[in-house]
Amino acid sequence: MATVISISHVHEPDADLWISAEGLPRLSGAAAALLWALDDKFRNAALLTGAEERRFPTLIAEDVLERSEYFAAFPGCASRVTSPRPGDNHFLSPAVCYHCYDMLKDRILANNVAFTCCGTCFRSDVRDGTHLWDFTMREVVFLGSAEFVQRQREVWMTKATRFARGLHLDASLAPANDPFFGAGNRGRKLLQSLKQLKYELSVPLHSRGSTPIASFNLHERFFTNRFQISLATGEPAHSGCVAFGLERWCMALLAREAATAALARVEEHDDLR
Amino acid sequence: MTHQVESLLRFVNDELLADCEKKAAPDTPLFDDGWIDSLKILHLIAFVEIQAGRKIPDELIVMDRFRTVGEIARNFLETWRQ
Repeated sequence: MATVISISHVHEPDADLWISAEGLPRLSGAAAALLWALDDKFRNAALLTGAEERRFPTLIAEDVLERSEYFAAFPGCASRVTSPRPGDNHFLSPAVCYHCYDMLKDRILANNVAFTCCGTCFRSDVRDGTHLWDFTMREVVFLGSAEFVQRQREVWMTKATRFARGLHLDASLAPANDPFFGAGNRGRKLLQSLKQLKYELSVPLHSRGSTPIASFNLHERFFTNRFQISLATGEPAHSGCVAFGLERWCMALLAREAATAALARVEEHDDLR
Repeated sequence: MTHQVESLLRFVNDELLADCEKKAAPDTPLFDDGWIDSLKILHLIAFVEIQAGRKIPDELIVMDRFRTVGEIARNFLETWRQ
């Protein structure tokens, strides 16, 4: 039976990882180092598999989110930025990978490609202490043939699960049914569920159930159709991504042990290689 | 081919895939090539529910039971109608 971990301490002002009522996290000392140690692991693993690193802005243009059907799939979740310049229509990025599709729009891919990127993301979801408004996401994004994208997802699901369990997290991998890209109606949700397009690696972080710490997503041709990203054959490429919510990994680890011990455990683990 | 498979196959090919050049056989994977989109899956489920005479809970709509016309018929029409 899964152990339910209390996260009540994250609201204590002197906690290593403190979360405000608005869902804004603050990390101190070894907890801050823990977040970047985790990111190092994910980043290095991505680079070792041949992913190219990209750094994207925190802001994202409205038309990129519109083209991604973000507003339809997640109504009310995007945070608009007020700009002093008239005509600027930007939002705080809800995910890093949207920048990748925009970067590659109207391109023909000669080969399968992978990118890794890390950024601060913003989602105005329900706030329950695990849904943060502002959080850090490391992503690995794959584009190319369907076989390549599916294989990459498989590899990452195996690696990430092994890594989490190696850190003594009670992590479980399962298909997810919550709304995903373009998930605005029952038909899309059923298709997503039926085709198992989204898996989540979750830990029992609070008494109401488990909390995802990573997701493994197949988009099929959803984004590549909308951003006109093709294979050399002329057909739209497939895409997929793997996303790690770094603060949630920290919360899961800090619920089990002190930040210094968790940091040491992460630093000595090589299971992602 | 059972009556249920025949009837479902006719619905899939004549209604759902009316605009496709390719046609499904009883063992054709329906969800591999994007043949069935988010609207068509709802039509498919509605047809199966009418034929079966009962609602299909979302948790039963899984690939093991829905991969092909033959599997849908076997899991929801032939068994449920008995």
